[in-house]
Amino acid sequence: MKNNIRVERAIKNITQGELAEIVGVSRQTINSIESNKYVPSTVLALKMARVFGKPLEEIFTLEEGD
Amino acid sequence: MKSRFLFPYWCRYLGWGLVIAHVPVTMIARNQGLNVDSPLVNNGLFTGGHLFFISTALLMSLGLFLVAFAKEKIEDEQIWQIRLDSLRWAIYINYIVLITSLVFINDTGHILELNLCVPLLFFIIRFRWVIFRLNRSLSREG
Repeated sequence: MKNNIRVERAIKNITQGELAEIVGVSRQTINSIESNKYVPSTVLALKMARVFGKPLEEIFTLEEGD
Repeated sequence: MKSRFLFPYWCRYLGWGLVIAHVPVTMIARNQGLNVDSPLVNNGLFTGGHLFFISTALLMSLGLFLVAFAKEKIEDEQIWQIRLDSLRWAIYINYIVLITSLVFINDTGHILELNLCVPLLFFIIRFRWVIFRLNRSLSREG
């Protein structure tokens, strides 16, 4: 699964730490999600989508083989 | 994220304290020539050897237990996943060690002792190692 959280963060001008605090996880988790090392739960994905004010599909997209 | 059945964060330090404390206690016990390995068979309940056995084996396993199952500063779903993964590995390793030692070693007392600390010890090492690697990749990102 791909995501463009890094881009969305840049648009909204917030750091990994700030996003982590808003959605209630650690900075490590945001970092692993951004670098595609960790797939977030639906709840966490929805929370992040709400922060960016966009539907889920605009932030997370399925890849070949998923 | 709700994290039930975990000890508070400070228990980690208490746990390490207990683990460290058991070292001098064990050394004293061995110097005194007490049979710390299987005191119940030789002495009976709450004799000197048995009390030392309690203070060493229990101090260590309780300490490891507290360290292993204390909450992290920020408990989130990734930590949960790492914890679960590490537990799985710990069980694998434990059973490999257990079965190998049952086949090749004829000393059930020590196997039991090994079995007491191997899963917890391996779990702690694996868990902390993964978190350490996460933190390192974080500091590389800046």
